[in-house]
Amino acid sequence: MPFKIGEVVQASTSQFQAECYELHGSPPFGSLVKTGDGLIDVYAVVYNAATTSIEPGRHPIARGRDEMAEEDIYRSNPQLAKLLRTEFEALVVGHREAGCLRHYLPPQPARIHGFVYVCEPDEVREFSRSFDFLRLLLDARVPASAEELVAACLRQASQAHQDPRTFLVSAAKEVVILLNGQLDSLNAILRRIKA
Amino acid sequence: MSLDLRQLAERIDEMADRLKVSQGEKEARLQFALGTLRSQAGAADALKRKIAASKTTWLVAGLVDGLDRSRRAPPCPPQFAVLAVDGSHIDVDRHSSTRCYLINIGVAHLHYGENPDALLFSQPGLYFGDEELVIADPLRAHREELVEGGLLGIKRSLEECRMAARLLMDSSDEPTLALLDGSLILWGLGAYPEFVTEILLDHGLLKSLDEIKECSRDRNLALASYISRPRSTDVVNALRVALCPHDPPDCDRHCSGAPPAEGRTCDAVAGVQDRELFDSLLSQGERTPTFISHSKIQRHYRDHEVHFFYLKVDDEIARVEVPRWVAEDGSRLDLVHSLILDQCRRGQGYPVALSEAHERAVVTSADRERFWQLVELALSEKRLPSQSSAKSRSKRTRWV
Repeated sequence: MPFKIGEVVQASTSQFQAECYELHGSPPFGSLVKTGDGLIDVYAVVYNAATTSIEPGRHPIARGRDEMAEEDIYRSNPQLAKLLRTEFEALVVGHREAGCLRHYLPPQPARIHGFVYVCEPDEVREFSRSFDFLRLLLDARVPASAEELVAACLRQASQAHQDPRTFLVSAAKEVVILLNGQLDSLNAILRRIKA
Repeated sequence: MSLDLRQLAERIDEMADRLKVSQGEKEARLQFALGTLRSQAGAADALKRKIAASKTTWLVAGLVDGLDRSRRAPPCPPQFAVLAVDGSHIDVDRHSSTRCYLINIGVAHLHYGENPDALLFSQPGLYFGDEELVIADPLRAHREELVEGGLLGIKRSLEECRMAARLLMDSSDEPTLALLDGSLILWGLGAYPEFVTEILLDHGLLKSLDEIKECSRDRNLALASYISRPRSTDVVNALRVALCPHDPPDCDRHCSGAPPAEGRTCDAVAGVQDRELFDSLLSQGERTPTFISHSKIQRHYRDHEVHFFYLKVDDEIARVEVPRWVAEDGSRLDLVHSLILDQCRRGQGYPVALSEAHERAVVTSADRERFWQLVELALSEKRLPSQSSAKSRSKRTRWV
């Protein structure tokens, strides 16, 4: 059973934003998540996460001067967990329709309030057998650089494969083709996926 | 056109100048009040008798256990809860096509200790029936009061207390402080006929207070209300009684004519507020002894007669009011003292639970606007006339 991590609160064809059920419970940067309505499952890679106040005008303040551990701050202020929320944003990199996995954008955006699941290793393995989705990541404008995102995504996906190193070598070859001549970007990615 | 502040700048300066001039005189009065309080501390019983016999035109605090003995807060229990309730409302809009009002009750129920947790929610209520818009005298059909303005504020206080009572009935047995914002004394009722007091106080607030007291029968539960930066002068007025050369003091009898040029003896402490007095006397976290509020409306409060003490929290003196059954029980009073202080420490100087309850309760001007739009929409969907007043329309649709 995949782990239900949150719910879509904003969506477009190329990305969606989800609110986590647990504070600080965002899936890792670069990990593969999915959401769907039963007919179409949308796959996406987490590219940003943030924990903020639920009310724009109320900013968190430092509270831990007299506390020994960060956890104690939440114990002393039980309301905090209800006043903060963790959200993450994910780039859509593919979808599954009628059982068929496709590494390009779906016909419809994810649905608001759709549950978001962290993909199980089997599913990550299946999805990352093709590297067609890397183009979507490389072309995306994200707060962290596209190189950071691609590298993080490949590192995360490699963990689902029996031989992560072989997976990363294949991925690196694909990246070389995709970044034809862009040596700086290529170097940045290769340095970040080196074991 | 917005407020033209340039036109006010000169008057604001004048105001600041006048405050500066009066500062020295005020300080002298405060020092005199402090001296009087210290000199009376040893003769509290005599002062208590003098207060009991006095007839004054101002409210005088009743003494319970002296004047100046400060108390430190005991430690908090290892496990406890604070239930805070606050409210806000949308008043009847006479320019609207329909008469109704809204009361929004905000709740923060915070649990501390082994399993910390927080329950934060609000419950809005819409009131529109004749029986809700008007308080009618059950004995005289033609006498009634509209629930709006000040009376709606009182009705809201009732609803806050009712919510506290309801939640306490279902809450766990851990030591609990139920905390309300503002005064437990429904001062505003004095402006209305007696039947309004009977309905809102005797059959309203006091009923909820009875329920809370009943809940507290087998458990460590206390009820208090918190007033930030109080302007009350009950204790200073007790000093005025002490200073009065007449025994018993009787303002109408002895001082009814024009005040003497040199002022009355008791004017030596005029203008001093209780919080200024105790700011000089209390150390951080300490509270004063309890006092009794002697307002007329208190006659109705029975065993819930409101007592109060002042508490020093950071840079502020707060007034904490409790019903008599809390004031007369040392362990409950200690619970109030220690938990309010703890709440203020957690809440940057103000009880965190009250602050969160307020956040749930608050109705913004945007909420207000949306509410009235929704009302008008509902009326038009039912093909009912939704004509607002010309004045209201002119405010909403601004033109040149």
